[in-house]
Amino acid sequence: MTLAGAFVFRGPRAAVWELLHDPDVLAAAMPGARQLVRTADGRYEGVMKVGLGPVTAAEFTLVVTLIDEVPPDRFTMAIDSQGTLGFTRGSARVALAETDGPATTMTYTADLQVGGRIASVGQRVVESAAKAMTAKGLEALQRALDDRLARAREGAGS
Amino acid sequence: MPPTVGKRVPRNEDRRLLTGRALFVDDVRLPGMLHVAFVRSDHAHGRLRSVDVAAARARPGVVAVYTAADLGGYWQHAPLLVPPPPVPGLVFHACTQVPLARDKVRYVGEPIAMVVAESRYVAEDALADVRVHIDPLEAVVDLERALEPAAPRLHEHLDSNVAATVHQQTGDYLAARAAADLVVTRRFWYDRGVSAAIENRAVVASWDPRAEHMTIWDTTQAPIPIRNGLARLLGLAESQVQVIAPFVGGGFGPKIMMFYPEELLVPWASRQLGRPVKWTEDRHENFVATTQERGQLHDAEMALARDGRILGVKDVFLHDTGAYDPYGLTIPINSQCTLLGVYKVPAYDSAFTAVFTNKPIVTPVRGAGRQHGVFVMERLLDIAARELGIDRVDIRRRNLIPPDAFPYDHGIIFQDFTSLTYDSGDYRPALDQAAELIGYERFVRDEQPRLRAEGRQVGIGIVNYVEGTGIGPYEGARVTVEPSGLVRVATGVGTQGQGHFTAFAQIVADALAVDVAAVRVVTGDTREFHWGTGTFASRGAVVAGTACRAAALTVRQKILDVAARRLGVEPERLELAHGRVRVRDHADDPGVPYGELAAHANPLRGAVTSGVEPGLEATAYFGPDRGSTANGVHAMIVEIDRDTLLARITRYVVVHDCGHLINPAIVEGQIQGGVAHGIGNAFYEQLVFDEQGQLKNGSLMDYLLPVATDVPDVEMVHRQTPAPGNPGGLKGVGEAGCIATGAAFAQAVEDALGGRLEIREIPLSPNRLFELLHDTASPGDPA
Repeated sequence: MTLAGAFVFRGPRAAVWELLHDPDVLAAAMPGARQLVRTADGRYEGVMKVGLGPVTAAEFTLVVTLIDEVPPDRFTMAIDSQGTLGFTRGSARVALAETDGPATTMTYTADLQVGGRIASVGQRVVESAAKAMTAKGLEALQRALDDRLARAREGAGS
Repeated sequence: MPPTVGKRVPRNEDRRLLTGRALFVDDVRLPGMLHVAFVRSDHAHGRLRSVDVAAARARPGVVAVYTAADLGGYWQHAPLLVPPPPVPGLVFHACTQVPLARDKVRYVGEPIAMVVAESRYVAEDALADVRVHIDPLEAVVDLERALEPAAPRLHEHLDSNVAATVHQQTGDYLAARAAADLVVTRRFWYDRGVSAAIENRAVVASWDPRAEHMTIWDTTQAPIPIRNGLARLLGLAESQVQVIAPFVGGGFGPKIMMFYPEELLVPWASRQLGRPVKWTEDRHENFVATTQERGQLHDAEMALARDGRILGVKDVFLHDTGAYDPYGLTIPINSQCTLLGVYKVPAYDSAFTAVFTNKPIVTPVRGAGRQHGVFVMERLLDIAARELGIDRVDIRRRNLIPPDAFPYDHGIIFQDFTSLTYDSGDYRPALDQAAELIGYERFVRDEQPRLRAEGRQVGIGIVNYVEGTGIGPYEGARVTVEPSGLVRVATGVGTQGQGHFTAFAQIVADALAVDVAAVRVVTGDTREFHWGTGTFASRGAVVAGTACRAAALTVRQKILDVAARRLGVEPERLELAHGRVRVRDHADDPGVPYGELAAHANPLRGAVTSGVEPGLEATAYFGPDRGSTANGVHAMIVEIDRDTLLARITRYVVVHDCGHLINPAIVEGQIQGGVAHGIGNAFYEQLVFDEQGQLKNGSLMDYLLPVATDVPDVEMVHRQTPAPGNPGGLKGVGEAGCIATGAAFAQAVEDALGGRLEIREIPLSPNRLFELLHDTASPGDPA
């Protein structure tokens, strides 16, 4: 399964970069995420609960490792998630480009392999569910970014 | 009494089945029974690094969790069920499944750990507690890529993914080719799916430590081989193990004597724990853990004379055997042999390679590879007919084996290890009758042009098939008349809906002159009868039925002998009717009921005559030298919607010949059901695996089965060319409905599309037809 797209954050690139490296923010933004902690530099571990179409929600362990980081331009995430319903593994490449506004265009390409019961029973919804989860997550990240930028402005103004 | 064999006798078992009073394995509920769930591999290919079950064992309600390491000496490869046939030069690598994966996983769904708990709920929850670490390997999915030197190997002690190679030939194909006016060469792909029995698999085992006795209820088609194998593996005497296959909701092949991991482990766990243990497969497991049938890729050619006579056929094919090959080569051998069909083929050169892939194990599913062979042969004939300008039915008529040529020896080895020799047949009238009944000439001449002028896409297909049936080695039966007068029949085959309780009862009722409803048949209980093999290869009625007949005839003679001594008359003066013996021409004599004679034959005092066995009972066996070859013709009319490409089968005709019929209603049910399977295979069902061996449609939401409205009422004609190899003249019919469907459907669809497309693959679907019509995929490629 390949997920690719672009999203325009309303905010400067440095702030977006920082946002995308904050496990608390990511945990809040990821639909179904129960927890996410940084266990080492560039390594995050967590638990998420996800259901898919006819498949009842179940817990997955999640390990994300950041590789090939070129701040604040781009990074790659190695994703390894597994649970009783199956697994998802693969990688996602993320690139950030600053544009006027200030705004930051994030382009992403994820190549994910889905296996086990989620693949065999949830196949017809897996891609649309992944897209929906991505869209929801990105909106949540934008809200988090708005909050940060607002707090920063307040801090600067006081 | 008039004979019941050949009559539409209502089925003895239907009252119990239709009122919900029949026992199925999942109905078995025992005090203290534990429940099982399996941790299965999510990866098609990988190294199993570790399995951590500590947390699962600690979960309340979990009684035990087992991995391969816990099985000790019980961990071993399952037996090879069918050894390779004695074909010169044959290569075969036996790689059978194991109870729980130890070092490697080879398909998604392979069991890794077994959780035993107080309830299935707890067992399922505990699956989440088990931590499995697998290092994935590249999966072997595509048949041709599997054979590339760089392909990863499933079984690393072998030097490739080749499971077997077999080459059989008769005549001189190269000479035939050189002499031919036309050589047709094509590549064909024929895929197959799950059996989709209504009832999934289930096993209940109960070890009684005081009696030292193991009772196993199992949805198997072959309870006796399972009993024998489990006794050996568990270190018990065969008499200590009883396997009961009660009513089973459909077998179709995958429930044969597989020694599935679950079948091996549930009895073992019951003995370990001293409690009854149950496992019932759920539908998702059925898609990944029950055996399936799968694709073959054929590169075939046919050499013909200008007049349409076949001079020779050459076929080289790959057969997908999945991750293991416990059932040997039955499927590809069937494909190889059934390809020849009803036709005289002077030169045949056929070679196949069976290939290991990271997919569930392949074993026979109704048809068992026969449909693959029929498809290739019938498609080649269709293409040749078109190129030679000969009518489709005519080219077939010109090549039929004539009725005076039987027994007809094709000169190659069949799945029963004997030569492929057809015992009897009369093919021309079957083909003519089918063409007549479906109105072939009228359709092609009048109807099709008229409908085409209205813009409708209608087509007709008509093809032949043979079905090798009723093979050995043997079956047995015991017939008993009890002192109550009840007639009891016990046989070793399992029953999965074939009407055994009626068909066997009819055979025995006719021999003993009793009502069919008065005959109580027991099948599939090793305590009732413990010699035999099982229900497969369309052989139950032929082989077990003939044994029933032999045993009943011996009991009949015993009845006459006992009555003659009792009444003081010669046995020849006696007649049997309605369960009584009376002296001939004494119409007002009520006669002696059999029950009284049964009591007399088993006295508490006095002496039974030397050399005479007590009671009115006899056991008999039947082992045919070779199988009997059934045949038939499938014809259908198909209309294809212009916009959606949905195919609607408007008429379906089957003219078939399974020798003498025992019960036409049962035969018709077999054919109607077989056609439903065939239509599913042709247009609805397909297992879709991704390039990593993940099944993408493992549910009945996405794996489409034909529903009642997709399957037309089949118009049938029964022809009855007796089989010379058994006294009843019987041939099997269990697979007749599904063998020719794909070939007939392809021809009809091609015809409906007016030659816009040459169909070289099955299954089709609206999507696939769209792709082929718009050339968005190359024809013949696996979808």
